[in-house]
Amino acid sequence: MLRPRTLWQLSLAQLREFWRSREAVVWSYAFPVLMAVVLGLAFGRRGPLPPSRVVVVASAQAASLRAALQGVPALEVRVLDGDAAQQAYAEGRAELLLSGSPTAPALRVDPLRPESELAQRRVADALQRGAGREDPLAIAIEEPAGGAHGYVERLIPGLIGLNLLGAGLWGVGFNLVDMRAKHLLRRLVVAPMGRAEFLLALLLSRLGLVVINSCLILLFGIFTFDLTVQGAWPLLFGVFALSGAVFSGLGLAVASRPRTIEGVSGVMNLAMLPQWLLCGSFFDVSNFPAYFQPLVQLLPLTHVNAALRGVILDGHGIVGIGWELAYLVGFTLLSFFLALRFFRWT
Amino acid sequence: MSETSLAIEIRGLRKVYGSGKSQVVAVDGLDLEVRRGEIFGLLGPNGAGKTTTVEVCEGLTEPTDGDVVVLGQRWNGGDALALRQRIGVSLQETRFFEKLTVREVLGVFRSFYRESRSVAECLDLLSLHEKANARTRDLSGGQRQRLAVACALIGHPELLFLDEPTTGLDPQSRRQLWEVFLRFRDDGGTILLTTHYMDEAAQLCERIGIVDHGKRIALGTPEELVATLGADHVVEVDIQGSDHGLTEADLQRLPGVSGVRLEAEAVSLSVSAPHLTIPPLLAGLARRGLALEGLRTRHVSLEDVFVGLTGRHLRDGGA
Repeated sequence: MLRPRTLWQLSLAQLREFWRSREAVVWSYAFPVLMAVVLGLAFGRRGPLPPSRVVVVASAQAASLRAALQGVPALEVRVLDGDAAQQAYAEGRAELLLSGSPTAPALRVDPLRPESELAQRRVADALQRGAGREDPLAIAIEEPAGGAHGYVERLIPGLIGLNLLGAGLWGVGFNLVDMRAKHLLRRLVVAPMGRAEFLLALLLSRLGLVVINSCLILLFGIFTFDLTVQGAWPLLFGVFALSGAVFSGLGLAVASRPRTIEGVSGVMNLAMLPQWLLCGSFFDVSNFPAYFQPLVQLLPLTHVNAALRGVILDGHGIVGIGWELAYLVGFTLLSFFLALRFFRWT
Repeated sequence: MSETSLAIEIRGLRKVYGSGKSQVVAVDGLDLEVRRGEIFGLLGPNGAGKTTTVEVCEGLTEPTDGDVVVLGQRWNGGDALALRQRIGVSLQETRFFEKLTVREVLGVFRSFYRESRSVAECLDLLSLHEKANARTRDLSGGQRQRLAVACALIGHPELLFLDEPTTGLDPQSRRQLWEVFLRFRDDGGTILLTTHYMDEAAQLCERIGIVDHGKRIALGTPEELVATLGADHVVEVDIQGSDHGLTEADLQRLPGVSGVRLEAEAVSLSVSAPHLTIPPLLAGLARRGLALEGLRTRHVSLEDVFVGLTGRHLRDGGA
């Protein structure tokens, strides 16, 4: 029996409890945006790779070596005395030390530094060509067109997914156990109200909150990283809400039995950690070995991320993400059923 | 007594918590009947099994054994939610949504019932108008208790469970709640009340069941229970020094004495006529050279009944 008036009042009570808790509001909304800022700064869109700094060790041949590299793009060439040259290299102010002569050059590179390796390729290439090397193939290099997604564009939907996971699981699960631990549920159980009504109200109260939450991160991506939403906004809101329902349902199931915050925290971390690591929020799921894939595909966040990227980045419609949506609906129903089955009030 | 005239019928109720060596028997074969339209008091010290009994009746705790029928229905047979529509509950300690206001909490509870009082009516009934917009975490103990009772009454219940509803409240708040309970009873409602306040039980209850160690040890109207002592008055004497050397037999011989309770520096006598007992009592003490430190007389109370039955005071706790 689900009565709209009861559902509305219980959901409203949950929403009011949330909005009136300043700390909860600040952390729910500030944390995801903060995470997006930090990750955006770390992995954000970069310019072309920086030039390689080459130090030519001062000698009779130094001038001709320098001349050989003159005009080569992406190289910064200086001539330094022996000691000063060694020191610049040792301190990382140069990626490559060049000595010898244009006909018998000697390069010192550090194989453990990728930028040193890059400098070696650039310098060797320039010297070989200067000495008359002819390339047998003409290789066409194509710059990526607008359709290819940089890391940050892929990261933003991943962050939204992670945030939905946290907001649903913690928001619902923690809350539920807190109410149980404080004996609030004892009072509710002796009132004429079914557990389905109560659990559904808890789930519904989260949906509005997670949609707002997700939009904040998305807007941050749009304004800061020029992200454009390729698909339809209503569908995107639908995916936000459905994802909120999936993780709230999981939160209900996880919190259906524990009596203490400590107890539920353990179970909650168990449910969260694999999804943080394996569901493609930071790296594409295809990077994981084949034996991981069944688990990866089982976890709901994988499908949430796929649906979000499908709509935001690839402009998919409802059919394009049909499998993901179906999986998420199924997962929500299953977790809700499990929560109903195992839930205890006291 | 016909089935329909009973609001609650408890037969052979047993509730055991834990198992093995840590097993605790909270209720041990309790029989009880609460009639419709009465306030029935369940009296006993802490740990006597009152709350467990009430929680079984509320459908909050499963009994280990025995049969409990509430308003003609068993919790495990039939529509529990329909039964909940007909009862109101005020738990020993009620928690609310902390950041909701009194008015909002009542709105939530109101939504559970098919027929209910309006929020304004409940605020009026429990004098909570001034606090209607206060958050529940900011309420005093008395206001919180009044809100708990308001939530219990909002669905027009036939039967009200009140588990120590006035514990820790000031006298004025207690009296205010008593008035609400009596009005509910006068309107035809039934109340099962637990308390360890004698005056509360005497003031409110038509009948009282005294429980101790999970068993019922007395049952009757307050007057009937007091009458079991065979005396209307208690004479209490405080004697200087701990070795007065008085025996129970000495005191029983005094005129009009029906009960004696001896303590180190005090004597308590149940008597029918204090004016006949006190002069020979004082003369006897003087003969023995015992110095009197205090003398009190009072009417017998339910507390005396409990002390007479168990040898302990109600507030001594369950041990």
